[in-house]
This record gives sequence, C-alpha cells and structure tokens, in this order.
Amino acid sequence: MILRDNPVLIRELLVNLRSPRAFLLQFVYVAFLGVMVYFAWPATEGQVSSGAAQRLFDLFFLGQFFLVALVAPTFAAGSITGEKERKTYEMLLASPLTPTSILVGKLLSSLTYLIILIVSSLPLIILCFLLGGILLSEIARAYLILILAAGTFGLLSLACSSYFGRTSSALVVSYLVILPLAILCVILTRTNDTVLRDFVSIAVLPPWCLTIWAVVVIALNRRLLRPPDVGSEGKEVVDEEQEMKYAIGVVIDRDLFPDKLFAPAKRTDLMPDGTNPVLDKELRSEIFSQGTLMLRVVIQVSMILSIPLMAVLLFLRPENAAYYVSYVLTFNMLVGPVFSAGSITQERERQTLNLLLTTLLRPGKIVFAKLIAALRVSTVLTFLLTEQLFLAYILIPELRDRWWTLIIYLAIIATTCLATSTIGLFCSAISRKTSVAMILTYMTLLFLFVGPVGLRWYLQGFAGGISEDRLSAFTVTSPFSSAFSIPMKSSQYSTNEQTTGSLVMRLIPGINLPVWAVFLLGYPPFCLILFGCTYVAFRYRWWRAGGT
Amino acid sequence: MIEVTHFTKRYGDFVAVDDLTLSIGAGEVFGFIGPNGAGKSTTIRFLATLLRPTSGEGKVAGKSVTKDPMGVRRVIGYMPDDFGVYDGMKVWEFLDFFAVAYEIPRTYRKKIIGQVLELLDLTHKRDDYVNGLSKGMKQRLCLAKTLVHDPPVLILDEPASGLDPRARLEMKALLNELRGMGKTILVSSHILSELADFCTSIGVIERGKLLAAGSIADITRQLRQHRVLKVRVIDDSAERAASILRDEENVKTVEVFDQTLTAEFHGHEDDLARLLGRLISAGIGVHSFSEDDLSLEEVFMMITKGIVN
Ligand SMILES: Nc1ncnc2c1ncn2[C@@H]1O[C@H](COP(=O)(O)OP(=O)(O)OP(=O)(O)O)[C@@H](O)[C@H]1O
Ligand SMILES: [Mg+2]
Repeated sequence: MILRDNPVLIRELLVNLRSPRAFLLQFVYVAFLGVMVYFAWPATEGQVSSGAAQRLFDLFFLGQFFLVALVAPTFAAGSITGEKERKTYEMLLASPLTPTSILVGKLLSSLTYLIILIVSSLPLIILCFLLGGILLSEIARAYLILILAAGTFGLLSLACSSYFGRTSSALVVSYLVILPLAILCVILTRTNDTVLRDFVSIAVLPPWCLTIWAVVVIALNRRLLRPPDVGSEGKEVVDEEQEMKYAIGVVIDRDLFPDKLFAPAKRTDLMPDGTNPVLDKELRSEIFSQGTLMLRVVIQVSMILSIPLMAVLLFLRPENAAYYVSYVLTFNMLVGPVFSAGSITQERERQTLNLLLTTLLRPGKIVFAKLIAALRVSTVLTFLLTEQLFLAYILIPELRDRWWTLIIYLAIIATTCLATSTIGLFCSAISRKTSVAMILTYMTLLFLFVGPVGLRWYLQGFAGGISEDRLSAFTVTSPFSSAFSIPMKSSQYSTNEQTTGSLVMRLIPGINLPVWAVFLLGYPPFCLILFGCTYVAFRYRWWRAGGT
Repeated sequence: MIEVTHFTKRYGDFVAVDDLTLSIGAGEVFGFIGPNGAGKSTTIRFLATLLRPTSGEGKVAGKSVTKDPMGVRRVIGYMPDDFGVYDGMKVWEFLDFFAVAYEIPRTYRKKIIGQVLELLDLTHKRDDYVNGLSKGMKQRLCLAKTLVHDPPVLILDEPASGLDPRARLEMKALLNELRGMGKTILVSSHILSELADFCTSIGVIERGKLLAAGSIADITRQLRQHRVLKVRVIDDSAERAASILRDEENVKTVEVFDQTLTAEFHGHEDDLARLLGRLISAGIGVHSFSEDDLSLEEVFMMITKGIVN
C-alpha cells in the first residue's frame, strides 16, 4: 500500500513525468553538463592531469549538490500547501489513505524527478573517472551524499509544507533551513583532510540524516493523522493577538521599532482620504494574514546565523566583510521574492482579483502599491542584518578607516532589495500560479546573481586566454561580485590582482569603472524598465477586460 | 440601461456564448436563468468588464464595456459567483478597503459602511475576521461590498447560492428593496422560482444561446400554447383512450400510468373541447379531464428542452 498502488504517488508521477517539459528539462540539463565536460576536457591526450579530473569532479559534485538543495524544495515545499491552496487537502485527509502512504507518495513523487536528473549525470561522471585521478569509492561516496541530501532536504521541505498554509512561505522557510545545512555539509565533505572527509561522509552524515528523517516523519505523521483545527472552510483564521501569546522566541510587536517599519499597526478607524488602499491592505493585513510564524522563523534563523558569521567574517578577519555582505545578499535573495512573487498571483488564486479589478483602482496604482509593500518589507528585514555591519565599522579601526566602503555595501544591499522585489513582481504578473512565479523568480535571480560568479570561476579554471577585464565584465549583474570588487585592503588592490582578478572593467574605452559602480548604476534603470513591463503585463493581461 | 449586442465568446473551438443580444431597461429586474454551463457567468463577466469578447459589444448606462471599462465600473456593482476574501481583514476593514477603492470620501464612508452593514444584517459581525465568516455571511458581505458606492446597476451572479431558505427569502426582500430604490438589476440563477416573484423580465439561456427573453407575462403567453393534459378514466379503457389521443394531431406525447393519461397538448380551448367529445363518443368513461397548471420549474424544463423556440 505504501509503495505499490499508492494513489498519491501514482497521480503525481503521472502529472509530473508525463509532461514534455520534464523531458526537455532533463535534456537541457544533460546537454549543459556535457558542454561543461567538453570544454574542460584536456586538450592534448598526453597532458592528462589528475588535477583537471578532480576539479571537474568537484564542479560536478558541487553543482549537483546545490541543484539538489535548490530543486528539492521547489517540488516538495509545494506538495502539501498546493493541496491546501486547491482545497483538496481535507479530501485527502478524510480519505482512507494512511498518513504514511500520503507522506511517502508526496516525498517520492517530488524527489523522483530530481533523482532521475542525478542519475542521468552518471555517464558523464564515469567519463571523468576515465580521465584518471578519481577513486571509484569517491564517486560512490558523492552519490551517497547526494541521495541522502535529496531525502533530507525533501523531507524538511515537506515538513515546512505541512506547517504553512502557503507555498511561498513553505518554500522560503525550507530554503532558510536547508541552505545553511547544505553549506555546512559541503564544508565538511570538501575539506582537504581525507580522513576527516571520509569519516564525516560515512560515519557522521548518514546517521544524522536518518535521525532527521525519523523525527520529521513522526512529526508529520502526527500532523496528518490529527490535523489542527482549521475551521469550517478549511482555512485557519489567525488572530494575531492570540498567536502572540503562544509565540516562542522573537515576538513581533507592531507598535515597536523596528517591527513597525515593516508591519504598521492595524487600523482602528477608517483610512484617511487619499490613501492607496492596496498599499494599506498589503502592509497592514496581508503580511500577517497567514500568521506571524513564517516571519518569526525567518527573522530568528537569519539572526542566529548572523552571529557566528559576524564573529568570523567581521571581527576576526575584517578584510572578509564582503562575505558577510554576501550573506545578507543571499538572505535577501531568498526572502525578497516571498513578498513580491505572490502578490499578483495570490489575488487570482484567492479569487479576489475580480473584486479588485471591478473597482476604480488604476492598474498602475495597484502594481505600484504591490511593489512598494514588497520592497518595504524585504528591505526592512534585510537591513535588520546590517546592524552587525554598522557595529563592526564602529568598533574595528581597520574598517573605520575605510568607512566609505560601508556606504557602498549598503547601496549594493539596497539595490539588491530593489532588484529582487521588482523581478518577483514581474514574474508574478506573468505567471498564473504563485508557485510558478516563485520558482521563476528564483531562477531569474540565480541566473543574474549567482550564474555569472559560477561562470567566471569555471572560465578561470578551464578556458585560458580570456582577460580578467572580460571576465569581470560578465559579473556586473551579480551583487556578490560587486561586493567582492570593493577593495578591502589598500595593499590588496595593487599586489593581489592576480588572485582576486581584476576589480575594474572597461565599459567605455578609456574610463575604468569598478564592477560595483556598474552594478549600482545599472540596476535602477533596469528595475524601472522591468516595472514598466510589469505594469504593461498586468494591464493587458488582467486589468483590461480580464485574462480569460 | 444594459444592452448586449451580438456577444459571442469562444474558448478555442468551444462556443460558450453564441451571438447573444439582450436589452434591459432602466429600473428593470432581469432574471437570467439557465442550467449549469449555459453561459450565464460568461455573459455577466463580460458585462462586468472582466472578459474580452470574441465579438460583439455591450453597453451599460450608455458606456461601452469594451471601450470605456472605467466608466462602466463606476456605475455597476458586480458580485461574482465565486469569490474569495482577503485574509487578515475585519469586516469593516474589508468594506472600507472597497469604499476607498471606489474613491468615496471618508466622511461618507463612515455613514455608508454602517448603512450597508445594517441593510445586510451584518452589524454584529463588524469586528470579525472576514476569512472566518461562513459562506452565506461572505455572500452577504460581498453584496454589501457591491453596494458601497451606490451603483445604479447591479450585476449579481447567483447571489442566493449557498444561502439557507431564510436568507434566500431575505435576499429576495433585499433585491425588492433595491428595485424600489430604482436600481437596475441583472441577477442570474438556475432556479426560476427564486427569480419569478420579483423579476420584471427573464431571459433563458442554454448552451450559449438565448432561448427566450422578455417580460414574465410574454414568456407565459408563449407557453400558453403548450398545455399538459391530465385525463383519468375508469376501468381498463386507458389504452384505448391513449390510442385516440395519439391519433389527434394536436397531441404530442402521451404517457399512461395506471388509469391516468398525461398528454402534451398544442392548441386552443375549442380543440380541447372537441377532444373530450371524441373520447366520450368513443365510449370511454372519462372521470376527470383537466389541464395541469405549469409550475415555473416545468416552464424552465420545457424551455430548456427546446420546446419554446
Ligand atoms: N476558461 C475557460 N476555458 C474553456 N471553457 C470555459 C472557460 N470558462 C468557461 N468555459 C465554458 O463556458 C461555458 C459557460 O460557462 P459559464 O460559467 O458561463 O456557465 P454558467 O451558466 O455560469 O454555469 P453555472 O450555472 O454552473 O455557473 C461552460 O461550458 C464552460 O465549460
Ligand atoms: Mg456561473
């Protein structure tokens, strides 16, 4: 019953795997890996160095590992919230299916595709093996870790999916939990100390993963068997004051600083004239409509992570401030889209769009309000993490001397907030479902922010002959590389150029602009144009005589 | 007040609404009836400026639905058949939100929100969260929302679905009251009897085609041609009576059940009298010969079966 004839599993597998999209994606994936191997292949046969094979293998492993960490949640985090959003959750619970078979069905169906992707890379890995320099046991170990990671990440996302009402919340919390775990896992299994590496990946990871599996499965089983009381319409009515009484840890108080920056207090009386009702609604009602759980988890996890990072990156080695900034940027990349990517699609999913569209509100007003609300929440949440930066710049003389870099860092963070919100809103305007909009947003952000950094790393390692200037020109879309392009040591700028790469790119002949300057100058107009596109998409897709 | 001319909507090959032409005068209450999937909501969404027509034109209060949607939105109150509410909002906040969206100044808002809550009997729910309301309550809230800007035209898609019998009666009374205030109302339903009491005219739609439209009196007059005849006979002469009825060209179908015959009859009173004479002269013991009163439901069934052109 649990595996064979499991209706949940069969239905989802049919829906997911039958689509031509699935095959196309797999093809693109394998082709992409193939191209990578092709270009990295040593040019002359005699020159086979174990280094190249090792590096390629590392690239493969890391790439796939992060693929698992990024893709497992996209499938799993929506699997139960999706049922809730479609209002089929209660039907499923009321059916004679046991919670275990629902769970197994959901988990396997969300992971099957991922596992197919991983397995389809095996031939290419074998090719690397033929190059020599890699042990078979190492390959086996890598795949063991990948499968364990897929299971663990999938289950954790499934747990989030069960605890939250909306896919977007479940997705972001999954990422927040999974990415630190993933990075920890990579650090542990990639150390140069082979003994430690083997010990960790064979004796430490599997038992820990299995423990996590067991705990999550038991908790989920309990939840599915005795679902919390959600009222007659299958939707929970969250009363904020009630919830606050039982909250653990951080409590959000709308009347206090800094919480009131992103969550102004609820109104006690009618709105004043001239208020943009959509903006007011978004800020005062929508943020907490699903309860404060998601926000509290996000704030707590990010704060807890920021403390050790601050100690290591800002206080022990101040020249690594860019890494701390990268952490803040990553946080924004994860959390920013939650508030914008769902804002238009959710109106549709909740069937309130019809009500909104028949009012006298102009499309520009609606879209603008949505952007401002999303931007405000994500900026405030992100800037909560910059407290540590301020602290470091005040306390550490080395940083204090270079105070102007703080301003650039803050500008980069602010620009990133703008970019994530605008991109999220655009994706929301062109998608039909929130889950699609979220994934589209994450893909775009990965492509713009992380892709260039990876590409640069790859090109540096394998394709010689591209000048450093050209390489850094690739990365102007990435806030990460612009953060790293800020010279932190005055000496570094002149002497370390070979290792850190050129910090300058030649955009216009004769004028050297650092990467960060191009980034800061480029994004605001880009966002403006994207906002224009969002407006046009919303206007012609929904506002003007409806979509369907 | 509402004019639809040659409205057609296609989804791919499927024709949801086919060349629909319709006109509703000011102050009328127009009942739009048809079975599931007939195309009622499609037409209504078109009038509410939410749907692009494949072809055709619509006018509400003289404003074109396709060319001046803002003008139309200003004068209509639209209630969808299926709608959601915002989470985390209280009833008064919800109404305030829409009142602001309709650009009503604050001083009026206070008064108007109180009034519509009163009108829809929701005053005691003023401070409840909207997503915690029951379905019928939400229905009433949505109607309250359509009234905040006091539109002269109301377009209501199945306002009574999901309401209990008492609330249905109240809804009827409310619509009557709104009619008394001089509003033009377009209301759809599958249930004719729900509409008949207060509608001044009805339109029947099936499979995207408008089968009949006009005042209730017009439609019943059209139907007067079609009578259902009930004949009761004594003893075992039922079969013989049936064969006589079947010979008659005015009679369409005959059903025999025990000693009762039910026949569909086309024609006037004198044809009926002649038919009775024939039965009696054939020596059949007729002990009752009567015309059945058509209930509205039966009218609906007959129309949607295509008996009326
Ligand atoms: N987006 C769509 N794509 C394809 N067909 C559609 C779409 N929307 C509606 N239809 C079809 O158009 C027809 C008319 O639908 P409509 O919703 O207008 O019916 P209705 O009269 O309101 O029915 P009900 O009484 O069930 O509400 C239906 O057959 C439906 O299947
Ligand atoms: Mg309908």
